[in-house]
Amino acid sequence: MWISIPKTTLKRMRQIPGGLVGPDENEINTGKLIDALKVLLTNAPTGIKNQQIKENALNLTLKVLLAIKPSQIEEAVSSLDANLVDTLMKYVYKGFEFPSEGSSGHLLLWHEKIYNVGGVGCIIRVLADTRRV
Amino acid sequence: MSATLKPYLTAVRHTLTAAMCLGNFSSQVVERHNKPEVEVRSSRELLLTPVVISRNEKEKVLIETSVNSVRISIAVKQADEIEKILCKKFMRFMMMRAENFIVLRRKPIEGYDISFLITNFHTEQMYKHKLVDFVIHFMEEIDKEISEMKLAVNARARIVSEEFLKRF
Repeated sequence: MWISIPKTTLKRMRQIPGGLVGPDENEINTGKLIDALKVLLTNAPTGIKNQQIKENALNLTLKVLLAIKPSQIEEAVSSLDANLVDTLMKYVYKGFEFPSEGSSGHLLLWHEKIYNVGGVGCIIRVLADTRRV
Repeated sequence: MSATLKPYLTAVRHTLTAAMCLGNFSSQVVERHNKPEVEVRSSRELLLTPVVISRNEKEKVLIETSVNSVRISIAVKQADEIEKILCKKFMRFMMMRAENFIVLRRKPIEGYDISFLITNFHTEQMYKHKLVDFVIHFMEEIDKEISEMKLAVNARARIVSEEFLKRF
């Protein structure tokens, strides 16, 4: 499955220099969804203040999360390491704040699967971490 | 509809279990005072990231945590006018008797229908898992209660109008 990203978003994301750029869009377009998710989570812009980058990354991640089928969720979560699982949980909670048609139900599934892997500690780290997504 | 209810409640339960790690914490501003930090918001470092769990656009739970207190706000499903009125009246009824519920807040947070405020004193006096159970049970019951009341109101209206129209 392929995900199309608007040109303007790509342009804006390319313009930001340095390490905490937010995800690299090319890798997302070429790979599979689970790989795309990994790239997105590794490059999640948690440490920076620029709202625009964060919003772009959030939209992208939510798009990927909602595109992954319920049967693949377990596989996706188990392929991530502990840090990425925490970041993924942050995105799931963030996604709950902007509910759209059917998205909450899907995110609830994600939440359950991540909880099975990460446990309560995973949620605690979302609550306590000030580096928000 | 009920397909998402169970995962929704489980997600809330897990989040509450995680959030309810509260300890005693005296006010940093006033000597010998002890206030729920989530309410007074005296310092940013004492507040944790607030999280929302939503089931759909209308039903959601906001969980705000701080070092010594956690505030849980619930938005209840209101499909039509009558459910809105019933919900408002019912919540008002309970919030007027808030001290009997101990953890109930007297006013809901803006955008939500009812709020709970759980402090470290509550978690010291009561079992934590029972407090979580209480909130979950409340969420389960409130939907049921409101739809039951709606049916009762409609049934009553039907009987009243029948009686009234018998005269003609």
